[in-house]
Amino acid sequence: MSYWTAFILTLFSPVIGGFIYGLERIVRARMQGRVGPPLLQPFYDFFKLMDKRSIIIHSFHAFMGVMYLIGTWFALFVLLSGGDLLIAIFFHVLSLAFLVVGGFSVRSPYSVIGAMRELLHMVAYEPLYVLSAAALYLVTGTFQVSGILRSEHVPLIYLPLLFTAVLFSLPAILKKSPFDTAEAHQEIIGGPEIEYSGKFYEAVYTAKWIEYVYAFFFIFLFAGGNHILGALLIIFAFFFFNLLDNVTARVNFRQMVAFHWYILIPLAVINLMLIALWRS
Amino acid sequence: MEKIVYSLFLVPWILALAVFLLPGAHFHRLRQLITFLSLPALSFLTYLVWNGHLPLQIETPQWLELAFTVYDYGLLLYFLYQGIKFRDFLVTVLALFQLFLLTWVLLIMPESSVPNFYVDRLSAFMFLIVSTVGTLICIYATKYMEQENLERENRFVAILLWFLGVMNLAVSVNNIEWFFALFETTTLASYILIRFRWDEVSIKNALRALWMNQIGGIAILLGLLFGIKYYGFTHFTQFLSLSGKPVIVMIPLGFLAVSALVKGAQMPFHRWLLGAMVAPTPVSAILHSATMVKIAPYLILRLSPVIKGTLLAKLLIITTGFVFVGAGLLALTQENFKKILAYSTISLLGLMMLTASMGSSMAILASLTLILFHAVVKALLFMEAGVMEKLFKAKYVEDIRRLVERAPITVAFTSIGFMSMTIVPYGIFVSKWMAIEEASNFLSHGAYVGSIIFMATGGVILALLYFKVIGVMTRKRGEFFRFQLERVPFVYLFATVPLVLFVIVGSIFIAKLLSLSVNPVVEAVIGTPASIIAKGLTLITPVSELYGWQIIGAFVLLLIVPILAYFVHFTGTDRVYEYTCGEKLELNIGTYNFFCIQVVEPFVETAAVALFILTLVLGGGLV
Repeated sequence: MSYWTAFILTLFSPVIGGFIYGLERIVRARMQGRVGPPLLQPFYDFFKLMDKRSIIIHSFHAFMGVMYLIGTWFALFVLLSGGDLLIAIFFHVLSLAFLVVGGFSVRSPYSVIGAMRELLHMVAYEPLYVLSAAALYLVTGTFQVSGILRSEHVPLIYLPLLFTAVLFSLPAILKKSPFDTAEAHQEIIGGPEIEYSGKFYEAVYTAKWIEYVYAFFFIFLFAGGNHILGALLIIFAFFFFNLLDNVTARVNFRQMVAFHWYILIPLAVINLMLIALWRS
Repeated sequence: MEKIVYSLFLVPWILALAVFLLPGAHFHRLRQLITFLSLPALSFLTYLVWNGHLPLQIETPQWLELAFTVYDYGLLLYFLYQGIKFRDFLVTVLALFQLFLLTWVLLIMPESSVPNFYVDRLSAFMFLIVSTVGTLICIYATKYMEQENLERENRFVAILLWFLGVMNLAVSVNNIEWFFALFETTTLASYILIRFRWDEVSIKNALRALWMNQIGGIAILLGLLFGIKYYGFTHFTQFLSLSGKPVIVMIPLGFLAVSALVKGAQMPFHRWLLGAMVAPTPVSAILHSATMVKIAPYLILRLSPVIKGTLLAKLLIITTGFVFVGAGLLALTQENFKKILAYSTISLLGLMMLTASMGSSMAILASLTLILFHAVVKALLFMEAGVMEKLFKAKYVEDIRRLVERAPITVAFTSIGFMSMTIVPYGIFVSKWMAIEEASNFLSHGAYVGSIIFMATGGVILALLYFKVIGVMTRKRGEFFRFQLERVPFVYLFATVPLVLFVIVGSIFIAKLLSLSVNPVVEAVIGTPASIIAKGLTLITPVSELYGWQIIGAFVLLLIVPILAYFVHFTGTDRVYEYTCGEKLELNIGTYNFFCIQVVEPFVETAAVALFILTLVLGGGLV
């Protein structure tokens, strides 16, 4: 993927993410037997929020919300520009840092708890993504995203267990049930988002759309050079994670970390070891 | 050239003597000046060594050998005396055992004509760290002690300067018996420094540091004994001649590696380093960054060409990797700022030794980068801890709440320090990245799979820890209406600003730094340099690339933005109090201390003991 394609794709990622989010709300509603909002509802919300009076706690907090958007955007560009996969993963951590520092910077219990849980989310899914970078390297022979996208091997065939693990941790990265402890609307009312409003809430909200693109592109990598399969994988992952969101209840953060560390990571490691042994 | 190397040991000692002989309050300025001299003097000498013809082997006269032997006995008798004086059973018994082993070694030690000093680029690399970071800490200490106890300042600074000379000497000796003497001298130095405040806790912790490090000394002596028995080897260079050949008897190497684990405060021997925090803060700074614990990765690096690929190396990878994660987990439960830093040192030392034992050129490169940046960052963070303690009376994480409102400089420096240990463009991250990618090449070995799991999980745990602390510091009540910097004494700034600048500039030009400065060291350690290329700011490794624009982008996000955050004021917006879902409650927001993790502490330690024994028994070939 050239820099220009990556740049344009990154530029329009909020739109793509917004459509995914709109679609998600429809799909989820249909699964519950409701009609759901129109597809463009996220964008209507966007314009409504932009129009609102800006109310902030203090500038530092509001600024961190904006930076979260820019950081996530940049992280997505790092991923799409075809550079090193591990670096792109760690850039994602960097963008998360802004949300966390912003969440910590106000004297609001829900915001502070949410920021802390945001870090715990990172503790849960991050090792899995590092391991999948290593696994993709093992199959395709490169850490470069552009190399993986050109690879003749289809990593999915070699890494079924790892793919399952990533699929199950998708709710953790996107903060969906059962792993939505950081936002937990009924419990801590959105966590780090609670103190944002108006334009600044919109920034945080848009950053989450970009994260959709980020996460689904990661799924896309598991198809290697076979881009049609990649598109199918994304569609499958989309429906799977909406189903999961609908049928599960929220777990607490210990259960979330335990599930990742004791079930998903071992699954990934077993896959990694078997493939390495087979190759050697 | 020999004279330059000798003066690297002697100059700090002379300066130390000068400082020591100028007691009292009225000589304070003069002592500061003398201490300051150590920075240009030692840096210049190191520069000369670095540009000289290396490796350098120096023959020594016979009397020096005798002098070392006499010194050895004197030192061990002093330990024995301390053990009896403070009625410490362990110190006494271990000192007696050391005396016995030393006598045995001297009885069977063969005559050898191998030069007793061996200064290669690895030694020069350690000189570099000692003579910059170490001396800055000494300069810092003059101000710190002025605020604490001016009467005993001369003693304190003299010991620190003397320690630097000892450290320089320790990394350049070739004779293992001499190495033992210097290893135990650093033990002595840490013992005196930890004891410095002479209260009950200090003495107790100092004695603990003493006996734990004595075990390391015993391991060296045992390694030397078996080295003589099986090979007739008494020098490091003789062991290095084994590299590449299949090693039959691992016992001496196993013991030497174990001594490194003890010195590097790896679990279960981590408590001595934690105990060091009762001493004045410069002590922690110097023990954690430039001297003392850095002997551990140094020793492993020395041995890594020989132990590469053996069972010992693999067990070392697993043990140190486990400590990397375990110490990070335990750090989460701590609320004392210095203790958090201590645990993270233990954790990162584990990573240094892990990469050093992997033994490939990329891994060695990662290890050296880690040593360099860790020394700088840990010195910085401990100095900032001292600043917080002296200026803001903050010792616990609870105390540094909302520090950003009062002390923007301190908070900025501390945040840079913390971020540089985990986040994207900084040196420590780059070395971790190289290590993960290197380990991915060997995933058919269980040890490397272990290493990659440890690196992935340990890194994220440390990120959690650091962001927790940064979050506490940056909490604030309202707008920054008046931007005001705190008044930090000049000496403190003089010691910390160069370190911050190095972290930033070194990380931006990481590609150049690695290929021009660190890679020659890799070549000296393992024989072949790592195949990295610097193209502008872009770092090209065999399997991947770190682009310059990524580094710059991350720096813009991480450095410029937080500074900007002070000055950005959104006008045309309304200010409100926190919404908190409309609840009106008395709020007192604390911090998370993860007490739930304390449950696993006994398990972590038990597992660490088991791994430690496994390393010695299986890795050392004692079965």
